[in-house]
Amino acid sequence: MNKYLILEDGTTFQGDAIGVPSISTGELVISNNLSGLENTITDQTYNDQIIVFVRPFVDTGGMNRDDYEAIAPSCKGVIFNSVPASQFSVQDPHSLNNFLKKRHIPGITNINIQRLAQHIKTHGAMKASIMDTADEHARDQIRALVIPRDRVKTVSTKQPYPNPNVGFKIAVIDLGLKYSILRQLSIRKCDSIVLPYNATATDILDLDPDAVVFTSGPGNPQEIPETLKTCQQLEGQLPILGIGLGHLVVALANGAEIYHMAYGHHGSNLSTVEIATENIEFSNHNHNYAIEPQSMSQTNFFITHRCLADNVIEGLRHRSDPTMTVQFQPEAAPGTHDALYIFDEFIEMITSFKQGKNL
Amino acid sequence: MNKEIVDDKTMKRTLTRITYEIIEKNKGNQNLVLIGIKTRGAFLAERIKMRLQQLEDIDVPQFALDVTNWRDDQQTVQAGGEQPPFSADQIAGKHVVLVDDVLYTGRTIRAALDAIMSVGRPSKISLAVLVDRGHRELPIRADYVGKNIPTSHREAIKVSMAEIDDEDKIEIIEPAAE
Repeated sequence: MNKYLILEDGTTFQGDAIGVPSISTGELVISNNLSGLENTITDQTYNDQIIVFVRPFVDTGGMNRDDYEAIAPSCKGVIFNSVPASQFSVQDPHSLNNFLKKRHIPGITNINIQRLAQHIKTHGAMKASIMDTADEHARDQIRALVIPRDRVKTVSTKQPYPNPNVGFKIAVIDLGLKYSILRQLSIRKCDSIVLPYNATATDILDLDPDAVVFTSGPGNPQEIPETLKTCQQLEGQLPILGIGLGHLVVALANGAEIYHMAYGHHGSNLSTVEIATENIEFSNHNHNYAIEPQSMSQTNFFITHRCLADNVIEGLRHRSDPTMTVQFQPEAAPGTHDALYIFDEFIEMITSFKQGKNL
Repeated sequence: MNKEIVDDKTMKRTLTRITYEIIEKNKGNQNLVLIGIKTRGAFLAERIKMRLQQLEDIDVPQFALDVTNWRDDQQTVQAGGEQPPFSADQIAGKHVVLVDDVLYTGRTIRAALDAIMSVGRPSKISLAVLVDRGHRELPIRADYVGKNIPTSHREAIKVSMAEIDDEDKIEIIEPAAE
């Protein structure tokens, strides 16, 4: 069945349907990840976005059970260059086609990804539609689309739930949690409890945790003033780790400013430099916003990581409070394991914060 | 038998963490002076200085101190030990961070403290060590510890640094069973 990808500026690409045969509209983002299809599709940071995979083809193996980042992924669609016949298999319950159908995600394959990616790089990020027809009505729908403003609210958990273990108690504020963050905390024996994005400082302090994590998530952090307020109130009282959207939340709560990037960082081919050591690391990036460098002087943070490609601020640390943040995704899902040490640093931060309290 | 317990990556991490902690506990970093105890402590101090420079763009004065003349097992002052390389003005009123590789009995640190005090009067002295192996014989503790490694008296800790040993690592050396 023919499907059309229609961009905001009218450019139309024709391809073949995969996944659920519905139509949808969303912001187009380009993912450079060559691996980790499961991780990427189920990442809640892609909430309400259409993901374009620039990989030349999808491999023949089905979706695996180990790499889910959320049970109910909420992206608006997936675009591929080429998908092998085995991934359309009706018998194989784990084929990509069946996976997308079960999770109500529409998709298009056989699209000229190179041309599409080039178009976005030249003209900047734009909205797009996955449509059955390429008529004027379809274009009207894109024009009518208002990018939703409450994405964190949609993807954040409604009820607190635990991820039990035996070590430090960590309050994880779910702004669009990736399960890999919990996996990494579990590996380090952290007894975490996941809380909704609007948990208040009192709620959190009542639990008496050893530390707080603000997770990655979709959208603009200015849309979640509740979380910013919580962060302001907690700072200095507990060690804080901010990842992705959480990094922006912590920075905004401390007086920094943010801006919308021309076409964001999506994928694991972006390198960061750890400023203290000049070590170069690759990690998975997924953000459309970044911190305004000039606004850093209004805060009490110093920069720990920068992106080598465009010098974007990728990591911060507070000069006196136990607060650290990274813009990239250290949990490596998908991506290299270069940045997993961020979690170790966080655990060390908790340990030395506790020692400082006991002295 | 040598057992490697810290590799080069972890050692770099640890030094970076110590640097972060030094920034955290010294808001502003204006008054810092790094004094590394020769030989490996001096290299560690150099690396911390470099990290501070990268992160905060501050140039912290850094010196290498030879404590031979102040050791308590030195009955008479022998030729060979160097005089402290800093003057009274350079440390007066400053926050001195003393850096060494291994903290063991505490006697080296005592000697370094005497060496510093014999020259001038810093406002504060704190201690950063890469390894704390326990067995203190003096009432001394470190403010910044890279790694606590519990050891027995029979074992030795060997810190290798790329500057003189070609590679970064920390090993426990256990004497062969008798």
